[in-house]
Parts: sequence; C-alpha cells; structure tokens
Amino acid sequence: MTSSFGMGSHQATLEEDVTLFNGQTSSSLTSQTSGLPLGQLVPEITRGWGLLVSKDRKSISLCVPLATSQKTIDNLTGNGQIAVCCSLPTSYKTVQLKGQCIETTDPTPADLTAVERHREAFGRLNARIGFRRQRTETLWRRELETLPDLVKLRVIPEQVFDQTPGPDAGSHL
Amino acid sequence: MSAPTPLTVPLENIAPCFEGILPSTICSCSREGTPNLTYLSVVHLLDPHHVGLSYQFFNKTRRNVLQNPMVQVVVTSPETLYQYRLTLCYERTEMEGPTFDRMKSNLDAVASQTGMSHVFRLRGVDIYRVLDCRPFNTQTPAESPPKIDPLPELEAFSDRLTACADLDSLLDTALDALSTIFDIDHSFVMAMGEDGARLYTLASHGYADSGVGSEVWVGEGILGVAAERRVVVRATSLAREKILSRAVRSTVKRRGKESLLEKEIALPGLPNVQSQLVAPLVARDRLWGVLCLQSAVTGRFLARDERLIQIAARHLAATMAMLAQPDATALKAAPPHRTAVQLPMSAVVKHYGSDDSIFIDDAYLIKGVAGRIFWKLVQSHARTGRVDFTNKEIRLDSNLKLPDIKDNLEARLILLRRRLEARCDFLRLIRVGRGQFRMEVQRQLTLEKHV
Repeated sequence: MTSSFGMGSHQATLEEDVTLFNGQTSSSLTSQTSGLPLGQLVPEITRGWGLLVSKDRKSISLCVPLATSQKTIDNLTGNGQIAVCCSLPTSYKTVQLKGQCIETTDPTPADLTAVERHREAFGRLNARIGFRRQRTETLWRRELETLPDLVKLRVIPEQVFDQTPGPDAGSHL
Repeated sequence: MSAPTPLTVPLENIAPCFEGILPSTICSCSREGTPNLTYLSVVHLLDPHHVGLSYQFFNKTRRNVLQNPMVQVVVTSPETLYQYRLTLCYERTEMEGPTFDRMKSNLDAVASQTGMSHVFRLRGVDIYRVLDCRPFNTQTPAESPPKIDPLPELEAFSDRLTACADLDSLLDTALDALSTIFDIDHSFVMAMGEDGARLYTLASHGYADSGVGSEVWVGEGILGVAAERRVVVRATSLAREKILSRAVRSTVKRRGKESLLEKEIALPGLPNVQSQLVAPLVARDRLWGVLCLQSAVTGRFLARDERLIQIAARHLAATMAMLAQPDATALKAAPPHRTAVQLPMSAVVKHYGSDDSIFIDDAYLIKGVAGRIFWKLVQSHARTGRVDFTNKEIRLDSNLKLPDIKDNLEARLILLRRRLEARCDFLRLIRVGRGQFRMEVQRQLTLEKHV
C-alpha cells in the first residue's frame, strides 16, 4: 500500500505532527537484513538528520552518516524495508513511519541545509530541558568525526503509528 | 555450557550508558521481517552478558520478540556521548525475584511521585543475552572502566561519625561529612514518626529553608516507597521522568481513563532536582528513617554511588540506634534545677488538644508528640519557673503517652529544638549534657489550652 501522509480522519493532526517534527526531533531509523531465517533477523538502528517532507507529501527524505550507517544502507539496498521514528525530546510525542526506502543518493545542497537546520533546532529544543547545546553538538560530531560523508535516503511511508509512550503506543494514525 | 564470547566492548566499560540518563532506542522485527523502532527510558545492566528491559505494556516490540528474539539496542554514554550498538537475544521474562523487585521498587516510587501508580505497573523484566556490544561509529576509541577506590572516603565518613556522642551532633556531622567528603551538597534525614505512617524531616544540609518538621506519608512518593520497602530508590533524570509521565498521562486522559490518575506530588528539597537517591536507615531490623541526597545535576548518583551510600547509610543508622539507647547515668549527673527570672515582654502559647499543635503568638510551631512535650515543658516553666529538664523524666512521664519509651524521644527533642530555632527568637532548647537540656525563655509566657 502506498499512500500520502494524513490518512483518514487524522489528517489535521498528522499534518500538524509532521510540521512540528520536521527538523526538531530525535530521528532514528531501522532496517533489517535480508535472506536470513526467522530467529536470525537482526535489525539495525541508525540516526537520521534533516528530515524533509516532499512537496506532494508522498515521500520523506533524510540523511544518515556513512560512518554509522553502512550496514543500514546495505540492508536497504537488499530489501528496502524501513521504520523511521521521530520523537520530540520535550514531550516524548512520537510518530513512527513504516515503508520502503526507494533510493539512496548523495545529498543535495537543500538536504545539507535541512541537516544544518535540524542540528540547530534539535540543539535548541534539548537546551530547553537542560541538555546543553554543546552536548548536542558533541553527539552530532561523534557520528561524523571519523568520516564526514552523509547519504540521503528517500522513503515512501506506507503506515503511520502513534509511538508516544504509554498504553496506546503502536496504534495506527 | 560454554563460556560466553567476549564482547567487542565489555558492558562494564560503559556502565553509565545503563543509568537511564539519556534515552535508548530498540528495534525488533516481525515474523514478516517488518522492522519496528521505539524509545526506551532505561536499559538495565544485570551482569556482564545480560541486560533487562521493563515490561509494562504489551506493545509491538514485545509481540515481535516473541516471534523473532533478536533485537538491537543503541545506548549513549552520558559522559562521552559515544553510542554503542547491542545485539540482544530475548531469553525469558522474570516476574519475581531480586531483579524484578529492585526494578519494581524504583518504578513504583517514581510512579507514586508523579501520580501514575495505577498506570505504570511492572508486569515483568525481559531478560536479554548480549551477543555483542560494538561502537555505533566503528572508529570510536575504546573506553576503560573508571578505576575508583571509595574506601578512603568511607573510612573518613565513619571516622567522623564515630566521634559523635549524641543524635543531634550525629545528624549534623553526617550531612556535613556527605558534603565535605563526597561532594553531596544537598541532603536531609527524615525520621520515622511514632505512628509508623509518616516520616518527618529531622535535619537538612544545603537548603535555603531547612524544612525541619515537614512530613511525607510512608508508601507515597520516592521517599515514602523507599521507607516502606526498606530499599534504595535512585532517580538519575527526574526532568525526563516527568516528561515521560506527562506524555503517558495525556494518553490516559485521551482514553477517558482519568480515574486512573492521581496528583503529582511535589518533591521536598531542591526546586530543580534532577538526581535523587534515597537510602533507608535500618538498624537492629528497624527502620529509623531515610537519608535523602539530591542534586540539580542529571546523573549525579550512579550505581557505584548507590552502593557507597548504602554502606554510609547503614553506618549512620547503626550509630543512630546506638545513641538512642537511654543513658541510665544521665539523671544522676543532672544539675540542680535553675529557675527563670521575671521578664518584661510577653508571648502567648496556645495548645490545641485535638492534635497537640502548638502556636506561639498565633504562629504554628509544631504538633503531635513534640507538641505534647513542649506543652509539658512550658507548663512546668509557668508553674515553677523551672528551666532545666532531663530526657529521662520526659521518657517516664506517662501523661505524654510516648509511643515507645525506648526510642524516638531524642529525635522529637531535636525536631522541637530545630523548629524553635527556625520559628522563635525568644525561646530556645539548649543541650547542657548527656540526656539534659535547658529551656531559655526571654519572655513572660501566657499559656492557653484549647480543645
């Protein structure tokens, strides 16, 4: 199933979420290996930066550091299955998108600008809850200090879930 | 059974990652291979090859691990901000035993503090075997475990306590030693009330307002749960705990289950407290109170501090128990009674019998057992001008209805003395010897008894 963001009656909420999340959240994504039997499937986590929603709202893109994400990129090249989780550190409001990664490319200048914006906004938001800007910068630097390259992933979301902690975590939006 | 394979990064080298100071992520995948990602408050380090995750809600992660036991977790060092990938294999869920009890006490304590006792409920601890732990960034330098020898500090702490001859100086010395020896600048001791239902603050260090006399209910909040279960309760990031509980609270409200929610309880002490450690004061199989440490710094009290403070608290409790023994020689050594002189200014002392509360010039002073003791002292003073008293005569006065003649009197006298110091500038209790004290009164007292 391929669909746009803002499915069903939750459209307004979701659009608000996407606007809210775009560029401020802690964004992590996961993929999994191909060709292994059940019981040996080991998923892989990495952190994404500079999430952008396409103009037609049918896809998202985000960048991952090559130094921390080689296995993820290999997995996505194999089967494309991906989950992306975005969480606001100030409220833990969290959304998870599941779908297919359809492309891995070099980032454009616009993507790199989005990454920089994300860095700034994420740092500002964390500072509000007592996590100093300098520490957010260190966290970022740790992921790129050995290799500065970023890879852009383009993802078609198929399902959207409310992942805010609590009894409703995992419910469809 | 073969020995486990050594991990790329030994878990003990990155122990601060398992303190819940920064959130972690976990991913699992379904039978069909669909990945699922979510955030975790804390990953508990159980031993060099196992970690534990709390099981509270039956969520997607749990459904997945029952189908496919392999998961990955990413943890972050709060000190260096390096991240580590842990490859885990789900082994079992424990619903009793020491690991479960320890995690349950911590969860229940914070849930009670944030009014979420009916929502946050530990169903079990999911135990995972750690197959590997490797740096998130493959080029991350290796971390070594910190080499810390706490014995010199413990020795210095016990040395300071050994020199104390009474409970009053013991409490002040212990809290001062925590500051000077362990760099813990905010601490207080709460004593167990006679009714066994309340704790009251007896001494504090490092606060603008001493808080002496303030009370909490046993079983309620972080302090009350630590007392009720006689366990150490430690929180490393209270601001994050609050954000998490408010997120869940809003979900519960949306579901229309507001009846499950209770009020958040304000924590006594620092207004911006981030880290808190509460250790029960147990000696002779009895709970004497709790020792509470606070810090405005996130992650100030780690697992290693917990062990250290538990030893320090046991030493403090043992000394408290020893000093609470009535001194049979005290009465013999009592000085002759001195009497007061006539004073120019006056003050009104009111006693309300319903709860033994005392008001001086309409300002509340104290209530309960300490209120009864104070009323006895001022009555005696008003009748005879007497100012010198002994602990023993109070202990033996059946009119005071002390709950247990062996204990707590000293603590109540300390509470009374400190409340007077804080609230009244013309009436003081001064210790003049072991088991003896003097009431210094600089105004003429008019006594009023009310129902």
